[in-house]
Amino acid sequence: MSTQTPNGRPAAVEVRDVHKWYGAHRVLDGIDLTVAAGEVTAVIGPSGSGKSTLLRVINHLEKPEIGHVSLNGELIGVRRHGERLKELSERVILAQRSRIGFVFQNFNLFPHLTVLDNVAAAPVATGLLRKPQAQELAHTLLARVGLADRTGAYPRQLSGGQQQRVAIARALALRPGVILFDEPTSALDPELVGEVLAVIRDLATSGSTLVIVTHEIGFAREVADRIVFIDGGRIVEQGPPDQVLDDPRHPRTREFLSRVL
Amino acid sequence: MSESLLPAVPPGTTYPPATELPRPPTPAPADAVEGAVDPERAARPVSAQRVLPLRHPGRWITSAIVVVLGAQIAHGLVTNPFYQWARFQYWFVRPVITDGLFITLEVTAYSAVLGLLGGVLLALARLSRSPVLRAISWLYIWLFRSVPLIVVLLFLYNFSALYRTLSLGVPFGAAFLHFDESKLATDLVVAVVGLSLNEAAYAAEVVRAGILSVDQGQHEAAAALGLPRRYQFARIVFPQALRAVIPSYVNQLIGLVKSTSLVFYVSLLDLFGSVQSMGSTYPGDIVPLLLVATVWYVILTSVISVIQFYLERHYSRGALRTLPPTPLQRLRVGLFALRARVRRETAI
Amino acid sequence: MSKLRSRLVRSLSAGTAFATLTVGLAACGSSSTSTTAASGDAPGGTVTVGALSNGAATQTGITVSEVASIRAELPASVVKSGQLVIGVGALPAGFAPLAYVGSDQRTLTGSEPDLGRLVAAVLGLKPVVNNATWENLFVGIDSGKTDVGFSNITDTEERKKKYEFASYRQDNLAFEVLKSSPWNFNGDYTALADKTVAVGAGTNQEKILLGWQAELQAAGKQLTIKYFPDTNSTYLALSGGKIDAYFGPNPGIAYQVTQDARTSNPVRNAGTFSGAGATLQGLIAATAKKDSGLAKPVADAINYLIENGQYAKWLAAWNLSNEAVSASQVNPPGLPLSNS
Repeated sequence: MSTQTPNGRPAAVEVRDVHKWYGAHRVLDGIDLTVAAGEVTAVIGPSGSGKSTLLRVINHLEKPEIGHVSLNGELIGVRRHGERLKELSERVILAQRSRIGFVFQNFNLFPHLTVLDNVAAAPVATGLLRKPQAQELAHTLLARVGLADRTGAYPRQLSGGQQQRVAIARALALRPGVILFDEPTSALDPELVGEVLAVIRDLATSGSTLVIVTHEIGFAREVADRIVFIDGGRIVEQGPPDQVLDDPRHPRTREFLSRVL
Repeated sequence: MSESLLPAVPPGTTYPPATELPRPPTPAPADAVEGAVDPERAARPVSAQRVLPLRHPGRWITSAIVVVLGAQIAHGLVTNPFYQWARFQYWFVRPVITDGLFITLEVTAYSAVLGLLGGVLLALARLSRSPVLRAISWLYIWLFRSVPLIVVLLFLYNFSALYRTLSLGVPFGAAFLHFDESKLATDLVVAVVGLSLNEAAYAAEVVRAGILSVDQGQHEAAAALGLPRRYQFARIVFPQALRAVIPSYVNQLIGLVKSTSLVFYVSLLDLFGSVQSMGSTYPGDIVPLLLVATVWYVILTSVISVIQFYLERHYSRGALRTLPPTPLQRLRVGLFALRARVRRETAI
Repeated sequence: MSKLRSRLVRSLSAGTAFATLTVGLAACGSSSTSTTAASGDAPGGTVTVGALSNGAATQTGITVSEVASIRAELPASVVKSGQLVIGVGALPAGFAPLAYVGSDQRTLTGSEPDLGRLVAAVLGLKPVVNNATWENLFVGIDSGKTDVGFSNITDTEERKKKYEFASYRQDNLAFEVLKSSPWNFNGDYTALADKTVAVGAGTNQEKILLGWQAELQAAGKQLTIKYFPDTNSTYLALSGGKIDAYFGPNPGIAYQVTQDARTSNPVRNAGTFSGAGATLQGLIAATAKKDSGLAKPVADAINYLIENGQYAKWLAAWNLSNEAVSASQVNPPGLPLSNS
C-alpha cells in the first residue's frame, strides 16, 4: 500500500474515503489524506468542521462508518477479510493505539499519579519497557519539555502549559510513529501558549510525524509542511502553507481565513 | 469599643503604600476620637496597625450555655443510679459480650470485603457494553435492594433444609448435605453470604456512582495510550473513583456494623444479640447492657471514621493541590498559632 | 427494622400464650446447636434438670429409663437417626425460666429444653437442642430440620392446620408492677380502672384483658392496653413509668422479681390470675409437623413421666408445680381460630 507523498517519503498515515456520521449528521464525508513520514501536517477549519473527529478516527477512538485508516501500511482497528473489513479485538486495537501518540485539548493527565508516573505508566503497562527504564525515559522526556524539576508534582499542582508539556512527554514515552495534537493550546491562557508551541516546534524540527489540529494559524504557517483546510467534513483545500494561507484557491478557505487572520 | 482604638479616617482618604508614608499622617478629627488615645499609637499610620478581629460575644455566650448543659448531662449520666455503672463495668468486657463483639467484627469484615468485591463486579457489569450483563446486574440490584435483609437471611438459613426436602430424588442432593456438615461454619458462612449479597447490591450503586464521577477524558486518555483494559480500570479509573466511593461506602459500612445485629436469624449472636440474650437472663441489667452495646458501637464507628479520614486523605492525592492536615498536624499548628498570639498580645 | 421484626414475629406467633415474650434467646454466641446442659445426654440414665438456672431452679438429677414400647411408636426415620432434635425459639432474647441462657452466660437452659431431654431419654434418643429464632423454630419443624419444638408453644386451632401437639403444661398469669407501686390485684378486674397495662399481642392473657377492658368501658371506666415487642422493652417501659403493670405468664414474672431486687427500680408480683379463668384453658404443647407421627410417642413419654413421678420432680425443680397437667393429650382442643 504505497501512495505518492508530497515529500517523496513513504506514507506514515493514510486515511481512505472515511465517512463518519452520528444519526443523520454527517461529520466526515469522504476524507482522503496521506501523511508522509517526518511530515508536519496542520489541520485547520471552522468549529464543527470535523477536524477533531478526523484525529479521533485516525487512532480509532471513533470508528468510521465507511473507509479505513492505516499506519505505516497496517490497517487500524480492522483487518481484511476477503473483500470486507472486520473489526479487530479491543486488545489488538489498544496495542495499535499505543503506537499513535495523542495530545488532548484538556491534557487529560491522570490526576492521582505524579508527573513522572504519568509519563512512565504507559510504557510499563503496555510491556514496552521495564519500570526502571521507563522512569529513566520519563526523566529524559520531562527534561526535554523543560520540566526536569517537577517530576514529583501532581498534575493539578502545575500550570496549564506545564500540564500540556507533561501530556506531550507522556505521548512521546511510547515512541509513537505519529503524534496527533487535538487543539493543544486552546485550553491555555494566552501567555502559556508559547511554551507548548515551543515544544511542538522542537518535535517538528527533529523529524517527527505530526498531525496538528489548531487555531494558531501563525504557528501552523511556521511549523507545518502542509496545511489541510477542512469544512463540512470534507477536505476543501490542502497544500504548502504559503499557498493555502496566502493564495487560497477555494472561496470557503478565503472566507475562513479572512475571519481568523 | 474597638473603633475607639483606631484613629478614625475621613472618608475619601487614600492610603499610600506603607513604605512611602508621609509623616505625620492625617490627624484624626476630634469628634470621632472617643476616650483617651495613646498619642504614639494615634501617630502610627492606620495601614501599619494590626486589624483587630471582630468580637463575637453572642458566640461566647452560646458556647458557655452549651458547655454547662453538656456538663449537666455528663453529671446526670454518671450519677443517675438508673444507668448502674457498676454493672456496666461488669458487662463491658464479659466473655459473652466480647465473643459477640468478635462475631460482629468478623461478620462485618468478611461482608464488607465480599460486598465491595461483588459491588465492583456488579457495577462493572452494569456499565458494560453487554446488554445481558447490564440486565442481570440491574435485576440483581433491584432484587436485593427490595428484599428485606431478614428475609434473605431466613431463606438462606433454611435453604439447605428446604432444598433437601424439596429435592428428594434429585441426584445433586448430596452436595447440599455436605453443606451443613459443620454447623459453626455454616452459621457464619450463611450470615456472611446473606449480608454480602445484600451489601453488594448497595455497594454496586456506590461504586457505579464513583466510576461515573471519573471524567470521560480519563477513559479517553487511557484508551488513547493503549493501556490494557484491566490496567485502565485498576490503575486509572478505579483509584479516582475511590475518592467518591469511600465516603458513601463507609456510610454503608457503619450501617453494616449495625445490621449484623440481624444475624441472630441464622442463630449467630453478635454484640447486640448477646446483649439481648443477657438482658433476658438478667432483666435487672437491661439498661447497663444496652449502654455496653452503645459504647462498643461508638468505639467501632470511631475507629472506622479514623480509618476513613486517612483513606480519604490517601486517595485525594493529586485531586487537591495540598492535602488537608491530619488532626495531629492541626493541633500542632493550632498550638503554635496560640503561642504566637499570646506573645503578640502580651508584647503590645 | 425492629418494627418489621416485631410485626413478623407477632403474625407468626399469633395465638401463643405470651407470644411476644418468645422472641428468641441464645445459646452461646457461636453455635445454634446448644450443648444440652451439664449431663444426661446418654439415652436413659440420669437427666440433670435446672442446671445453671441463675436462681430460678434447684438443680436436680432425675432418673429416667428408656421405654421400649413407647420407642416402638416412633417413626422409623427418627429411630434410625438415633436422636431427637428439640427446637427452641429463644434467639436472641430468652424467656426465663422457660428457655434462656444460663448463669455461665453461654449454655441454653430452662424448663422447656429440660422436658425435651427427659422425653428423649424415655424414647431412648440422644437429645439435640436446636436454638433458633421464633420464626426459624417453625421453619425448622416444617423443613424436617427439627423434630419437635419444646418452646412454650400454645396449642391453637390455627396451628393445628400445620402441626400436631402433645400438651404438657398450663400457665398461670400475674401482674408485674414496680415495687414502689401501691397497686394490688386480688382477682377483681375493677382494680384496673384508669390503669395502663402491657400485654403480649395475640396471647391468651390479652384476650382476658380485652374482656375486662370491655366490661370497664361499659361501666364508663378506662383501661389502656399497650404492646411491646419483647420482655426487655416491656421492662424498660415499666421502670420508666410508661405503664402501670405488665400482665404476663407467672413463671417469667417470678423470675424477673428475683432478678430485679438489687436494681434501682425493683419490681414485684402484684397478684396472680389463673389462665383457666378464661373461657378455655390454654395449654402448652410439644409441637411436631402434622402427620409426622411424633405427637403420639411424645405424649406417651410425657404420660410415662407423669405416672412415674419424674414430671413432678421436673416442675418442682423449676418451681412450676402449680402449672402441672394431669395428663398429656394428643391434639387437645386449642385456642379457637377466632382468637388468633
